[in-house]
Amino acid sequence: MRPITLWRYEARRTGWAAVLGPPLAVALGIAAALAYPEPSDTTTARILLGGLEMAVPLAAAVVCSTLIGQDPAREVQLTVPTPYRITLLRRMIVVLSWTAAVAVLAAAVLIVTGWWARWPQNHGAFAGQLTWLAPMLGLSGLGFAAGAVLRSPAAAGAIVTTVWAIQQFFADAVQEHLPGRLLYLFATTRGAATDDWLANRLVLVGAGAVLVALALILLGRPERLISEEDE
Amino acid sequence: MTAFGASLRYEFRMQVRKRSVWIVPALTLVLFVLIGGSLLRDLFDPGERPLDPRTGVVGLAVQLHALLAIGFGCLLADRLVRDDRLGVAPILDATPASPAARLLGKYLGAAAATAVPIALAYFGFAAAYAIDIGQPVAMAWALAAFAVVIVPGLLLVAAFALAVPMIMPAPLFRVLFVGYWLWGNIVSPEMMPTLARTLFHPLGGYPLDVLFDFHGIDGEDTWAGPVAGATLNVLRPDPTPALALLSIVLLLIVSAAALAGGHVLRARRIR
Repeated sequence: MRPITLWRYEARRTGWAAVLGPPLAVALGIAAALAYPEPSDTTTARILLGGLEMAVPLAAAVVCSTLIGQDPAREVQLTVPTPYRITLLRRMIVVLSWTAAVAVLAAAVLIVTGWWARWPQNHGAFAGQLTWLAPMLGLSGLGFAAGAVLRSPAAAGAIVTTVWAIQQFFADAVQEHLPGRLLYLFATTRGAATDDWLANRLVLVGAGAVLVALALILLGRPERLISEEDE
Repeated sequence: MTAFGASLRYEFRMQVRKRSVWIVPALTLVLFVLIGGSLLRDLFDPGERPLDPRTGVVGLAVQLHALLAIGFGCLLADRLVRDDRLGVAPILDATPASPAARLLGKYLGAAAATAVPIALAYFGFAAAYAIDIGQPVAMAWALAAFAVVIVPGLLLVAAFALAVPMIMPAPLFRVLFVGYWLWGNIVSPEMMPTLARTLFHPLGGYPLDVLFDFHGIDGEDTWAGPVAGATLNVLRPDPTPALALLSIVLLLIVSAAALAGGHVLRARRIR
């Protein structure tokens, strides 16, 4: 099978939620910014960047949490030469690449139109891309790992959305201590300490990588994939 | 046994035995305890907890409802579409049992089972708090808050969680649902147009304000009524007991409408 055919197949297997989620997230962020009744440049810019930092990673992570447990005949997948975990990793790469393409396009529009610069903690056009990249990788890693542990898309999706919501509801309490600040998903638009920003972004990227590695180790045990799952 | 009773019992037993129905709220509570500032810790700290037991247990209801309802909705999002995916739906459709009765049984059974850990957590913490402060009346307030505030909110979430995945993939529903939950419950009306603090408020702003005289843990929050400078104030009349009741009825009517929508969609598909 030619690689392009293979990747096209994996892209189709990720489903409509993967395709529609990121653009919908960007659109909702823009709608929220436009809906602000007394617009000031800073607040509007903050909501626009907030859409990239909050909504886009959530859309990617929830889809990543459902990748495991979607194939109706996993036994067949386990018989082919390509390890099933590599297939799942490939699908995750498809989801994250599409999300990144949408996010880069949205960020480029914000940079060109000047909205990016209007939020004081934007961290520049290049390093500032960690605004969406770091929470996307961290939260998606959590979703993928939760899917590998629980083998239930519903439960893994619930954990991702709950962690996201806790950080929204208790933004101040979560950031009272250094570990909480380093793992806070929304450090660009709701961050408590600007000095911790780069460390926070790198820790989120690292946490995402560690969680994906843990998931791949778990997925290396085929008996976990064909035993009874939490349907 | 009626089709409604049978499907309710079956769905309840099937759902309550799922590990994830217990794991998700348990992990949520662990995270909740780990972060500072939540009532799960403050209720047992004599220096931090509210002096009035009613404020304590109603505040606990608000916090647990706001947070645990997210996992509740996500866990229920695959219940209706799952029957089609597993190929069970055509077999059930071939039986003489009414599809509407089966759907209602599934709705109430699966929702009740998924709410069991939430009820246990809430009443467990409320009982510990009542014992700690030596005021059994806190349990009476907890029962009232559960019935009036948490149950209508969860019924609304369950209805949409069953119906909406009929028209969009379940993961997309989960993303939109948590976004809505934040926007329609927590976002301040001064910040952007929101349904928070209106008559249609799943966290129960009007009942909290009127029936429980609840104004936040520190007594400084407003949960219902017009907000100066906010849009959609037409949906925020001054709170009265009748409006509190209307607010609960509104949640139940919208729940029924969502469920009816799900039923119509299913009926069209099998025709």
